[in-house]
Amino acid sequence: MSIAIHSGKRHSKHIHRSGADKWAKILAYTIVGLFGLMCLYPLLLTVTVSLTPEDVINKDGYRLIPSRWTLDTYTYIFAHSGARIMKSYLVTIFVTVVGTIGSMLVTCMISYAISLRELRYRNVIAFICNFTSIFSAGLIPWYVVCVNWYGLRNNILALILPSLFSVWYMFLMRTYFRAISQSLYDAAKIDGAGHMTIFFRIALPLSVTALLTVGLMYALCYWNDWWHALMFIDDRDLFPLQYYLYSIMSNVNAVSSGRVPSGAAANIRLPAETVKMAVTIITIGPIIFLYPFIQRYFVKGIMMGAVKE
Amino acid sequence: MQRTVTPLNRGFRWEMKHNRTLYLMCVPALLLLLAFAYLPMSGMYMAFTKYNVVDGIYGSPFVGFQNFTYFLKGNLYFWNAVKNTLIINFWGLIFGTIVPITIAIAMNEVKNGPFKKISQSAMFFPYFLSWVVIGAILYGFLTANFRVDRKTGELILTGANGVANRLLMAFGANPIRWYAEPKYWKAIVIFLDVWKWAGYNSIIYMAAMAGFDGSLYEAATIDGASRFQQIRYLTIPMLKPQVVILTLMSIGRIFYGDMGMIWGLVGQNGTLLDAVSVIDTYVYTSMKTMGFGFSTAIGLCQSVMGLILILLANSAAKKINDGEGLF
Repeated sequence: MSIAIHSGKRHSKHIHRSGADKWAKILAYTIVGLFGLMCLYPLLLTVTVSLTPEDVINKDGYRLIPSRWTLDTYTYIFAHSGARIMKSYLVTIFVTVVGTIGSMLVTCMISYAISLRELRYRNVIAFICNFTSIFSAGLIPWYVVCVNWYGLRNNILALILPSLFSVWYMFLMRTYFRAISQSLYDAAKIDGAGHMTIFFRIALPLSVTALLTVGLMYALCYWNDWWHALMFIDDRDLFPLQYYLYSIMSNVNAVSSGRVPSGAAANIRLPAETVKMAVTIITIGPIIFLYPFIQRYFVKGIMMGAVKE
Repeated sequence: MQRTVTPLNRGFRWEMKHNRTLYLMCVPALLLLLAFAYLPMSGMYMAFTKYNVVDGIYGSPFVGFQNFTYFLKGNLYFWNAVKNTLIINFWGLIFGTIVPITIAIAMNEVKNGPFKKISQSAMFFPYFLSWVVIGAILYGFLTANFRVDRKTGELILTGANGVANRLLMAFGANPIRWYAEPKYWKAIVIFLDVWKWAGYNSIIYMAAMAGFDGSLYEAATIDGASRFQQIRYLTIPMLKPQVVILTLMSIGRIFYGDMGMIWGLVGQNGTLLDAVSVIDTYVYTSMKTMGFGFSTAIGLCQSVMGLILILLANSAAKKINDGEGLF
């Protein structure tokens, strides 16, 4: 009886409420839709501009749907600077592959070790790692040490070594390893397995998702890195893709500022509008193609990091 | 029986020998930290020298606090950079909190389906782009090619114009030379910073919201609370701890600018750099003009201030959060 009254009451309230709730729904869909567009539109624009003939861009300006389409820009780029772009591509791929594999080895080993309670100094080691994220030497000492002591100037290792170990991803990985049941390790130990065996045969195979997540995060960092090239690399043969794009854009930027004397500006031959957009697309190409497949791992990783252990 | 129990107070050497493999597994990572984080700290000594390349870090003449007084006393560029850093970080913090929370709450109201999936994928995409790429995409919005005829005042387009200028002209306003007008750039930088991270941060808030007790919402529905009221009186208050923690973390890093962002967007454009140069970019540019000792001194001040603020933020977090700090 009381239940019936209750549900009747709820029903009437529901009718009363539904007007406001409908507005809440509409507002929510609008916010999500608008922000989604704000993120999608720039990318689509870049893609379509790179497929627009140069004269159409100059006449109509940047627009999402051009009056004519063409692949000329891409054929032009590969005919004229194809060799340079291919070189930069190879540098980026080399750095990304070697860097990611190296990072994963270094990161997984230490995070496995300090995820174990039997390691007495695990907290000391965690503190040594953590301290670097709250206090740093600053740019200049880091730069001087890298160049003068380690000789990283114009060295491809400069694009790999400094970012080989990330404390943040280490803690992420440690959280994953901690979730593995200790009894599995104990069983392996009774069978006479050492830590190396347990690490490679039990811990790693059980954390494939985690390895993918953190590995992809490292790979993205290496792929997107232009900062270390800005610091250490002058040799054009060692330019990664991102830095190649940077060097194009910074010329453009300098001229648009109006500070370069007009005589000098005339001497700098700026790449055409469509070329800039096409190089941008070439730079992020693999990310666009892989994005649908890798996105969920990143979401997982962020959620994992958001939940404090 | 007694032999299998491990005594707690075995010495350091016993521990090293017993767990040798595990400690060896830590060595590569620790070596990297030593090489790229701890050894450079010794280079901070440069802040007290007039550094030159020939004599190196420890051979250069010692000058005491001269480098510090030089930038603290009336160096306009330095103080401008400090001001810019604080302004950009402050507004970045405000909007970087409000926007992702709004998105997360709105996302929660959207039914599962293709619309939700596609928009979430779209929102998360900027996180995957480097600042250089974002700078290049931005160019498509802001590029300006026009001149105003001296005699007639007529507007003549001389080439491609970006989306922003096309919009302005569509509404009858005059186009703007964005890359020569510093006054807009603080806003542009803050906007893009929020834009890039909004999708990422909204996932953090959605993760928090997924953990909320559903029965509270059911009870509120039964009591006749509208969705707006539920958001106002349930969701937002329950998100507060998360917001406080993230805010404290940002305050701890308020003196750190994102050099990658500024450099990727503005790069070599000297006209714009004054408006958005942050401490980190000033350290980089002054390294070339003012010498290494001088810029190291700035970096040292920044690091020490940063450390103090992070420790303060951490103790504040512990007080609010029942003894749980930020790290």
